[in-house]
Amino acid sequence: MSARKETVLDLAKFVDKGVQVKLTGGRQVAGTLKGYDQLLNLVLDEAVEFVRDPDDPLKTTDQTRRLGLIVCRGTAVMLVSPTDGTDEIANPFVQSDGA
Amino acid sequence: MLPLSLLKTAQGHPMLSLDGENEWEIGTRSFNLSQLVELKNGETYNGHLVNCDTWMNIHLREVICTSKDGDRFWRMPECYIRGNTIKYLRVPDEVIDKVQEETKSRSDRKPPGVGRGRGRGRDENVAGRPSRGIGRGIDDGGSRGGRGRGVSGNRGGGRGRG
Repeated sequence: MSARKETVLDLAKFVDKGVQVKLTGGRQVAGTLKGYDQLLNLVLDEAVEFVRDPDDPLKTTDQTRRLGLIVCRGTAVMLVSPTDGTDEIANPFVQSDGA
Repeated sequence: MLPLSLLKTAQGHPMLSLDGENEWEIGTRSFNLSQLVELKNGETYNGHLVNCDTWMNIHLREVICTSKDGDRFWRMPECYIRGNTIKYLRVPDEVIDKVQEETKSRSDRKPPGVGRGRGRGRDENVAGRPSRGIGRGIDDGGSRGGRGRGVSGNRGGGRGRG
């Protein structure tokens, strides 16, 4: 219990749901969260990597690479977010600056 | 003021604005997106700070992610960011006042700190058994010290001769 409490975000609610994971070094992966531990090691099923532009590794392209069942090492996990509700949007700050 | 105590103060603050109706809470609504986090890779995340821990791992809600170049944007309902990837955070200005209140209340709590002093005293008492042993050793060491030195002197002399 205490180990689980250490995490800020309870990943239990993401289990069997789609999550997007950004890894140190720039790789970006999406998959179904199957398991996790307190070190933030993640098990992702049907994982898909978003292939990056070889000329500009900071940018992800729409091209994907199927990875299948993977384990993401916790120390390399930079960001975890649910896939549901994650969309690319137009610049929202232009409006807020005007208002 | 500690950086993480500032963050801890900031964390409850936009949360309350989600369902609260107080003046300052309404005030924070206009600052809904002012919790800005920039990662080492240059991406920025704006959102409500829900929670953070001693590693600066943070949980944001209603997030807008901006790419490094600032030309692409994503909306995500929530996200977890690992503390060691964070370059810096921007927190709402009003949080700083709250932190000062907190530090004041902490200094007010110092009298209870006397209780901590008692606690330490107990710790010493608990540790007293080994410390007594050490104490005896030191006391005896005073008388044996001469012998010890003598021995070491002899050794030193032996080395010198060798």
